Amino acid sequence: MTDESMTNEAMTKSQMAKSQRIGEIVETSTTGFVAVSKTLHQPPALGSLVKVQIGGEDYAYGVVAFGTTTSPDPGRRAVPRASDEVYDEAIYAEQPQLSRVLHTEFTAVLVGCFEEGAIRQHLPPQPPRLHYDVHECTADEVCRFSERLVYFRLLLGTQGEVPAEQLLAAHIRQVYRARGRDAAWLERAARQVTSLLRDDYDRMMTVLYGIEPGD
Amino acid sequence: MPLKFGPISEQVEQMAESATAVARHDLLAETQKLLRQADPAALRATLSSRRQPFPWLVAEPVDTFSAVFPAPTPPPDFSVVAADGSFIPPDRHSPLRFYVINTGCAVITYGQYPDAHLDSAGRLYFEDAELYLDPTGRRVPIEGERLGVYMAVEEMRTLREALGLASLPAVALRDGSLILWALQRKDEPEVKQAFLAPFISCLDDFLRAGVPVASYISYTGSQEVVNALRVSLCRDDPARCDHCSLSADQRDLCHFLGTLRDRYLFAGILTDGDRSDLFCSRSAILDEYGKHRVRFFYLNVGGEIARIEAPEWVMADQAMLDLVHGLVYDQCQRSGDYPPYPPVLMEAHEQAVINTTERRVVEQLIEEALAHRGMTYIRSAKDRSKRSRGV
Repeated sequence: MTDESMTNEAMTKSQMAKSQRIGEIVETSTTGFVAVSKTLHQPPALGSLVKVQIGGEDYAYGVVAFGTTTSPDPGRRAVPRASDEVYDEAIYAEQPQLSRVLHTEFTAVLVGCFEEGAIRQHLPPQPPRLHYDVHECTADEVCRFSERLVYFRLLLGTQGEVPAEQLLAAHIRQVYRARGRDAAWLERAARQVTSLLRDDYDRMMTVLYGIEPGD
Repeated sequence: MPLKFGPISEQVEQMAESATAVARHDLLAETQKLLRQADPAALRATLSSRRQPFPWLVAEPVDTFSAVFPAPTPPPDFSVVAADGSFIPPDRHSPLRFYVINTGCAVITYGQYPDAHLDSAGRLYFEDAELYLDPTGRRVPIEGERLGVYMAVEEMRTLREALGLASLPAVALRDGSLILWALQRKDEPEVKQAFLAPFISCLDDFLRAGVPVASYISYTGSQEVVNALRVSLCRDDPARCDHCSLSADQRDLCHFLGTLRDRYLFAGILTDGDRSDLFCSRSAILDEYGKHRVRFFYLNVGGEIARIEAPEWVMADQAMLDLVHGLVYDQCQRSGDYPPYPPVLMEAHEQAVINTTERRVVEQLIEEALAHRGMTYIRSAKDRSKRSRGV
């Protein structure tokens, strides 16, 4: 296979600074990372594209694959606190310490990188660094990254809490919206899914049903 | 070798039988009647006129024995501040002598602007002057009970510093008694001198700040009020039970009082949120507390009787007393499905606790620091044989 490089404008440091910091990496590996969300209860959406700097102007792309809110102390579990008068958001006003003893984590699987001025859809050579910030990708970046769909193979190969086909469907929905409900792109994505999962009808249909536009 | 449960389970049955005997239930009812009928003024007169010490610690009612007060409604906005501590004690199996104290604090603000601040601060003590009192003379090691008292002093310092993050009105709470019982030993004047002064200084700061400070004792084992009833019942000298002129029934009651704890007595008197009237503790060390002499009341926090202690300048001020009562009860209502216990104390404890993994990390840091300097960290043979058990 030829070098999977694409010509794109290099991402400037100022653009990096503008994109929103949404989490900090607390576990990292070659295939993905776990980050603690900056805001409790607000991890990035399932399937959304995020990025983290891996050195200089280079960064790795990941697709958000899981989110959870728990106590960072494994010995502490949530206990019911609602009453007839106090429930939902009111519980957090009633128990202000909850915002300090809970955190929201999300997992991202790596699907590509931006190195030497080009987007590449393979695993980055190095895992992202611990304690580095995770940024959400702008709509522009999502459009550029999703022009080629080779990375769908990486997503389908993941093994996590969410079945890979559900994750792929969630990602396609996110990209479709970020691209301004680009019907032509959605059709390309559906054809790619059909091609990749032609030997597994059930999984293929799970994805196709999950990306029906409905609007 | 494994514990043999056969004989132990028989003893468990005997203990349960003894604890649930019908006779105890009847005597508890008699005791509650005695609480309502005992004359507090007569008891105060007895206590003040007696020269010899009583054989037990006896509480002195400030006003009545049995008055009950419902929980006041808390103000709309307030803070509760708590501190707790834990330590790694000196280990005689370690080649180096040191101890670690970790204090945790929690400041929770309720009302229009809810907020929480949780933090901890740890320190490793290793200098001679930190390990021993009178290091060039008697070299009294800071360990055991003395280390517990030192930790109580550090908790009070942490509590005082945490006040800066609270919004008024506020109550400062600590877990465990305000009475430093361990300092009552007469053979260790340097211990008392070293620890009592900084503790009292912290109480002075709370007084100056106008913030009530109190301690919360869950499932109190105190018998002070019951002992007061025993003195009230006695017709002779409480220290001379061989010269007793009570009737057989009254002797049974007196004997029962000797086994009863205050929490059982007040469980039948106080309903949810109620507090008892105030009592003065007559613990000898309190003679040196000055204006911070400790008073206490019992509080039904919803399923448990807790003992709340505070200096007399808190308990004598109706607004402060109501604030302590109201906020402590309010805290226990916020436990959710947990047993009733103040969340602020729970969070301070979570900040303070040093778990097994963290203890091992401290050991590891020491081992690496020594290795870096060419010294091998070797623990005692006895300890090593326990850690690597073999056959």
